[in-house]
Amino acid sequence: MKRLPLAGVRVLDLTMMWAGPYATRLLAEMGAEVLKIESPSAWDNIRTLIPLEGIPEPWNASWYFNDYNRDKKSVTLDLAQARGRELFLGLVRQSDVVIENYRASVMDNLGLGYEALRAARADIIMISMAGFGKFGAERDHVGFGPIIEQMSGLASLTGYGDDGVPYKTGVSYGDPVAGKAAASAVAMALIKRQKTGLGVHVDLGQRETMSTLIGEAFVAASLRGEQVAQHGNRDPRFAPQGVYRCLGSEQWLAISARTDAEWQALAVVIGADSLAGLSFHERRARHDELDGLLAAWSAEQDPQDAMERLQRVGVPAGRVLDSEKIHDDPHLAARGYWVELAHPRMHAWKQPTTTWRFFEANPQLRRHAPLFGEHTREVLSSLLGVSEAELDTLQAQAVIGDAPLNAGPG
Amino acid sequence: MDESLLGGVRVLEVGGGFAAAFAARWLSGFGADVVRADPLVESLTADEQVYLLAGKRRMLANQRELRALALAADIVIEDQKPGTLGEWGMSPLALRAEKPSLVVVSVTPFGQSGPYATYAADNIIAFAMGGLMSLTGHPAREPLMTGGSQAYCLGAMNAFGAAVTALYGAMIQGEGDWIDISLQEAAAGMLELYGPGGAYNGLGPHLRSGNHVRAVWAIYPCADGFAGVCALERQIPGLFAAIGDPELQDPRFRDPLQRPLNDDELQAKLYAWFGDHTKDEILALSPKFKVPFGAVLTPGDLLESPSLAERGYFDEVLLPDGRVATVPGRPFLGFPWTPPSILHETAADSAAVRAEWLGLQG
Repeated sequence: MKRLPLAGVRVLDLTMMWAGPYATRLLAEMGAEVLKIESPSAWDNIRTLIPLEGIPEPWNASWYFNDYNRDKKSVTLDLAQARGRELFLGLVRQSDVVIENYRASVMDNLGLGYEALRAARADIIMISMAGFGKFGAERDHVGFGPIIEQMSGLASLTGYGDDGVPYKTGVSYGDPVAGKAAASAVAMALIKRQKTGLGVHVDLGQRETMSTLIGEAFVAASLRGEQVAQHGNRDPRFAPQGVYRCLGSEQWLAISARTDAEWQALAVVIGADSLAGLSFHERRARHDELDGLLAAWSAEQDPQDAMERLQRVGVPAGRVLDSEKIHDDPHLAARGYWVELAHPRMHAWKQPTTTWRFFEANPQLRRHAPLFGEHTREVLSSLLGVSEAELDTLQAQAVIGDAPLNAGPG
Repeated sequence: MDESLLGGVRVLEVGGGFAAAFAARWLSGFGADVVRADPLVESLTADEQVYLLAGKRRMLANQRELRALALAADIVIEDQKPGTLGEWGMSPLALRAEKPSLVVVSVTPFGQSGPYATYAADNIIAFAMGGLMSLTGHPAREPLMTGGSQAYCLGAMNAFGAAVTALYGAMIQGEGDWIDISLQEAAAGMLELYGPGGAYNGLGPHLRSGNHVRAVWAIYPCADGFAGVCALERQIPGLFAAIGDPELQDPRFRDPLQRPLNDDELQAKLYAWFGDHTKDEILALSPKFKVPFGAVLTPGDLLESPSLAERGYFDEVLLPDGRVATVPGRPFLGFPWTPPSILHETAADSAAVRAEWLGLQG
């Protein structure tokens, strides 16, 4: 593949926060032209979610906003105003994909539902990604990623197992999960259009996507009526397995012995040679005792050294890399995973490159996230032929703008 | 005519791990002809096999056959240790040279290159190395692995997305590609604000905050289990109205700058309120007040959900012993989905696949 797979695809991106922008970031990484559309009065709150005191135009200086919106163009359009909707439908005529993550009723209420978009362009691809889908009894429920995680069944499976408390993943896990799925739905829709000439409206209920990640628990529940069980850091197949504290502040090492051979090698390294012959069933029965031995050993170890030493003898081991250390991981560095991109308002920092590493098409980060409305005039004049005079009028009417009208806490 | 989106697309799944099997499951559901080259030793649990392998054809192939099958496929998804396919005489580069339209997706714990490329790892190791684990769990206890096999799932979702994106690219350009998916990278790029924040500020790592990121972004015990709330500033008025305690109108709770200073007091109020309400009562308030409330539901609860039934979410899988399992279906609506309704036994389709894909009889 010589060119990026989505080169030549234009995406109108109405999404905000994380799930949708994460999806369109993936599309941009794959070569699509993504036009991020915000209203001067209703814009992506993630721009100011992290308060940046004393910084001018904080909505243009957010590393958090930048993380989900790089490689995109910023176009402002107030869809609550008739002229804004008209211009939007003009853009729809010249685009391949519209993606939105509003609550289920919002696009229809704006008069911009799928049928309206189809009237503008017959083969338009529309991706809707409400929390609980476009129809159904729960369609009006509101949800962010952690809510989706609770409602999907996943949180019920997460926990230490000794206190009955379910846990949330430490990020808004539902968002990137839905985002990854939504990006793949766009590729599917493009395949459909290529094969049939037809567009499609994709109804992605974020909770449903999330529940697909624990299918085996549904098998257990439906076949045997099994109640959920929280296993902490243990896998019923392997023993010992867990996370053990190392030297340093909050430094931990995950270790997993999947086979007798891995356990024998591990036992020797931690000085428990006499236990090297334990069978899996014995190891499982004595898991707490083995955890004590592993913890006593790891407490004296540098986590990186311990990981490398165990891996040298074939034992699965990995550091619990934290949000700082992960940026210094030598392996990710060797793979060129962290990339520093210039930004006009911020110093450079390590940003993740694409996860979809096409060897031949070789996607690369291209540009920082756009400033607010940075491409409005360029896009409206080049795609729709809007004159300079009208652009000025639109700005005076706040249909477009180069700054949020109501910047405040997210 | 086959109306399924991926009808006529041949997918070879090589390796037998969770991530490759999950990615190929979605391809199968959307209509592709997926052949799983079964491993000599099965690593999936019985329940994982029901969920991940149903709907696929299964065969035992020797190395020579495997190479021929790969060249008869449109997409190969594999999760072998880097270099293994090359040892078998079918490196992705060689396959691609012979068949330029072929898409090969490799999904491995650490990717195809770098010092950890051949490290031994399972789900927990990849989850730890991807950064998510450092953020998950109670602050006074050890970091916690999220339930299921989430590192594998993230790898699978990326493998699926990359595969269909590359398939589209191949339709347009005539050429496929080889895609390197690392489980570590799949997670490392989705650390919410903590990832870029850690990189930008240099203020040290953010550590796990358990179920209480903030009082209004938390899971609480409720009258019949656990429930949660995630409110942004614009949802605070609705949240406080739903709770109905007039004291919440005080500036120490209403003012976004004062609220963090009074988080413990607010948390105590929310503990009390959640404790007095059931999951159903709390969920009913979500659409009414436009507040993101949730409840911790189990798979058993969801199997009984009228809303999911109305949306036709679940699939049924017939097992070889005649039992029927109910499993999550399509990840999204919009394309024909072929429920993977039958779990084939290992090697059950060897002869048929040899005949259809390789033109061999007997």
